[in-house]
Amino acid sequence: MRNVRVWFKKEGTAKYISHLDLNRNMLRIIHMAKLPIWYTEGFNPHPFITFALPLSLGFSGLRESMDFKLLDDEMDLNEVKDRLNKCLPGGITVYDVTEQVMKPARITYALFNLKLSCDTVNTDELYEKVRELFAMDEIMMDKKSKAGIKEVDLKENICKFDIKNCESYVNIDVILPAGSMTNVNPKLIVDALKKFFDIEADFEIVRVDIYNENVESFV
Amino acid sequence: MYSKEVERILLKVQKPGRYVGGELNSVIKDKKDIDVRFAFCFPDVYEVGMSHLGMKILYSQFNTVPYIWCERVFAPWIDMEELMIERNIPLYGLESGDPITDFDFIGFTLQYELSYTNVLNMLKLAKIPIKSKDRPELKNIVVAGGPCACNPEPLAEFIDIFFIGEGEEVDLEVIELYRKFRAENKSKKEFLIAASQIQGVYVPALYNVEYNNDGTIKSFTPEEGAPAKITKRLMMNLDEVFYPDNFVVPTIEIIHDRAVEEIFRGCIRGCRFCQAGFLYRPVREKSVATIDKQCRELCKNTGYDEVSLSSLSSSDYSRVVELLTQLNKWSNEEKVSISLPSLRVDGFTDDIMSKIKTVRKSGLTFAPEAGSQRLRNVINKNVFEDELLQTCDTAFGGGWSKVKLYFMIGLPTETLDDVAEIAALGQKVVDTYYRNPNKQKGRAVSVTVSASSFVPKPFTPFQWEPQDTIPQLHEKQQHLKKSITTKKITYNYHEADTSFLEAVFARGDRKLCKVMEIACQNGFHFDGWDDCFSLDAWMKLFEQCGIDTAFYANRRRSFDELLPWDHIDYGVTKEFLISECKKAYEAATTPNCRQKCSNCGVGKWKGGICVEKRQSMV
Repeated sequence: MRNVRVWFKKEGTAKYISHLDLNRNMLRIIHMAKLPIWYTEGFNPHPFITFALPLSLGFSGLRESMDFKLLDDEMDLNEVKDRLNKCLPGGITVYDVTEQVMKPARITYALFNLKLSCDTVNTDELYEKVRELFAMDEIMMDKKSKAGIKEVDLKENICKFDIKNCESYVNIDVILPAGSMTNVNPKLIVDALKKFFDIEADFEIVRVDIYNENVESFV
Repeated sequence: MYSKEVERILLKVQKPGRYVGGELNSVIKDKKDIDVRFAFCFPDVYEVGMSHLGMKILYSQFNTVPYIWCERVFAPWIDMEELMIERNIPLYGLESGDPITDFDFIGFTLQYELSYTNVLNMLKLAKIPIKSKDRPELKNIVVAGGPCACNPEPLAEFIDIFFIGEGEEVDLEVIELYRKFRAENKSKKEFLIAASQIQGVYVPALYNVEYNNDGTIKSFTPEEGAPAKITKRLMMNLDEVFYPDNFVVPTIEIIHDRAVEEIFRGCIRGCRFCQAGFLYRPVREKSVATIDKQCRELCKNTGYDEVSLSSLSSSDYSRVVELLTQLNKWSNEEKVSISLPSLRVDGFTDDIMSKIKTVRKSGLTFAPEAGSQRLRNVINKNVFEDELLQTCDTAFGGGWSKVKLYFMIGLPTETLDDVAEIAALGQKVVDTYYRNPNKQKGRAVSVTVSASSFVPKPFTPFQWEPQDTIPQLHEKQQHLKKSITTKKITYNYHEADTSFLEAVFARGDRKLCKVMEIACQNGFHFDGWDDCFSLDAWMKLFEQCGIDTAFYANRRRSFDELLPWDHIDYGVTKEFLISECKKAYEAATTPNCRQKCSNCGVGKWKGGICVEKRQSMV
C-alpha cells in the first residue's frame, strides 16, 4: 500500500462544483476508474480520500490535490492519471500523480490571481481604486466563519501583491494566508472595493499555487 | 457552454452547478453537422428533471441520430429567473448555451399538472410566444409528451403537437417529417396537418370543441382530415427498444443520484386510482439477460455504485429472484448495490430481502393506500392486513426498524371510520415490531404514516368521481391525526390545496387555457413548490376568468358525459372503466392481469402479458 497525491486543475464548468460535491464526485470517479484503493472498513465502506485544501465555489484552481492509499504497489502512476482522466467531468484534469511529500497541515499560504472589471467604472479608474485600497493603512472587513462574523484587517494579511492595469481588466496577484489555521478569502478584496469605494466589480479568481510556511510550493 | 452574461450572475445564485452543463456524458456536437436541434425541456429545477428516466432515454436516443442535437433545459429557480429577466438573458440549452429560439423543437415532458405554469413560463423566459397561433413559422415547434398528455386540453392553445403514449418511435417520425417539410419550404400548418396522420400525434389546433349550456362538452370535431380518435404509441418488445448505455452524470447532488434500469412497462395490478396502471398497459417485461447487460453497461459508464430496478411495481417482475441472483453475481464484487423501489407489501420475501441493499439498511416503504380492507377492495389494491404485518415482521427480523406507509385520504366511498383505520394499521405495525424476537436490540421502531389527498385522474375507473372539497379533506386529516395515539408513529400529510389545483387541471378542458395564459402573464411558476404556490392567488384568477373550479374538481360526472379526453385512446375501453367503477361501489376486486384477463381492451394490440401464458395455465 502506498500513499499517493493526485494533482488536478479545476476550472471552467467545474468551478461550480462545491467542495462537498467534489468529494462525492471523486468517490464515484474512483469507483468508475476501478482504481485499487483502500476503502474504509466501517458500516458503509467507501474509498478513503482527503483533499489538501478546499476551494471556494466559483474559483478556479490550478494546483488542487487529493490523497488516497493505493493498494497496488506496482501500479504505474501514469496509469492512475489516465484512468481518472477518462472518468472526470468537464473542467477537471489530472496532470500528475506523485508521492505525498508534505503533510497538508503545513499549508500556510496560497497565491491567487484576480481579474477585475466593472460596467460602471473604466479600467483606469478601477486600477487607481485598487491601488488606493491596497495603500490603505488598514482594510477592516467582516469575515464570516462558523463561529459567527469576525472583523479582520485584510491589509495585515496580505503577504505580497502585484497590481497591473491590463486595459480590459485589472490584474491582481496576491498571496494570502491559507490552511487550517488562518484562511483569508480573496473575495474580501472584491467586497472591500464595494465597501470603501462603492464599486461592484465582476471578478474571476484563480488559486494559482499553494505554499508551506516558507512560501515554498506544496508538494 | 453558457455565455459571458450567464457567467456574471452564476455566483449570485444558489447552486450555480444547475446552470452550467459540462457533466460527464453530456453530448456536445458540431453545429455544422446538425440539421435538427431539439431542446428537451423539463418544467422543474435541474435536480428534479435530471432524476427523470424518460428524459435520459430520449436524450440519448435523439443524440444517436447524427443530424439531431438534443440538449437539456430546466426551469431556472426563482433567484436565477429574476437575474435572467433583469439582465435580459433568454433561456438557453445547457449543452451549447444557445437561446431556445435557435431550436427547431422545444419539447416538454408533462409529469405532473402543477408544472404546467412552468411550461408556459419557460417559453416566456425563452422569449417565444406562448400561444401556438402566435408562432406561425415552421420553427420553434412546441411539442409535449408524458403521462399528463393523456388530457392535453388545458394546454391545447399552447402546444403544437402532443405525443400520446411512448415516444421512442413517434418523436423521431415527427422530426423526420419536419426535416422533409422544411426542405420543401412547406408551412407550419401543412406540417401539422401531415403530422396529425401519424399514430400517437395529437394536434389540438385541428379540433373544434363545442360546449353545452351547462359547460360540459357537446361535440369534438376534427378538421383537415385529422383522426377522430388519437391512439397511443407503444413499444412492444422491450428487449429491442432503445435504452441508453450511459447517463449524463450530474456534478451536483440530484434527487435520484443513481443508475436506473427499467425492468418492465405497465402494471399487472389495476389499482383503480392509479392512472399509470391504465395508461401504460399492457405489461411488457425485459428479459433477465437484457437487464443484466444494461445494468453492467450503465455502472461501467457512469461509475454509480447503485442501480435501481425501476418500474411501476418492481416486485411484480415475473422472474424477480432469478434477476436478483443474476445481478448479485457481479454486483457484490463490483461494490454495486441493487435497489428495488415500488415494492409491494406482498412482494417482499426473505429471498428478495437478502439480495437487495446488502450494505445499507435504509427505511422500507410500502403503500397500503387505504386503512380498511373494505376501502382497499374499493380501490382494488388487493393487499391484506396480515400480508402487510407479515412483511413488516420479515423486515424487522432482517434488521430494519424504519417503515414508511403511504396512504390516500378522500378516496371514493371513504368514511371517517376508514380514515381512523389508517391509524389502527400503523399501531399494528408498531405492535408487530415489539413482538418480533429477532428485532434489532435496543432500537425503537419508527413508523411514518403519510397521507396524500386523492386526485381523480383521467383514464381511471374514478375519472367520474368528485374530489373531496378542501374542508372535507382537512376534516379527514385532523381525524387521522387525532386517531394516532403513539409517538412511534410520525404523521405527515400533504397540503390539500395543491391536490385541489391538481384535480382542476387533471380533468380540465380548453376553457382553462385562458386561466393558464393569465397565470403566465402574472408570473405564476413552480406551483409544486411551497415557496411559490398560493391557492388564494389561483382562486382570484379563476374568479376573474369566470371559471367554477368545483365544476372540474368536485362534480360527479355521469357515465354518458362526453369527457374532455374522450378523443384520446390508450387502449383501455370506457366500458371497462365503467364496469370497474361499478365494482368499486360494491367493494368487489378484479384479479390482476397475471391471474386472469379482465378484457380491458388493450388485448387488441396482441402483445406483452396479453399474449403470455398465465400461471394458472402452465
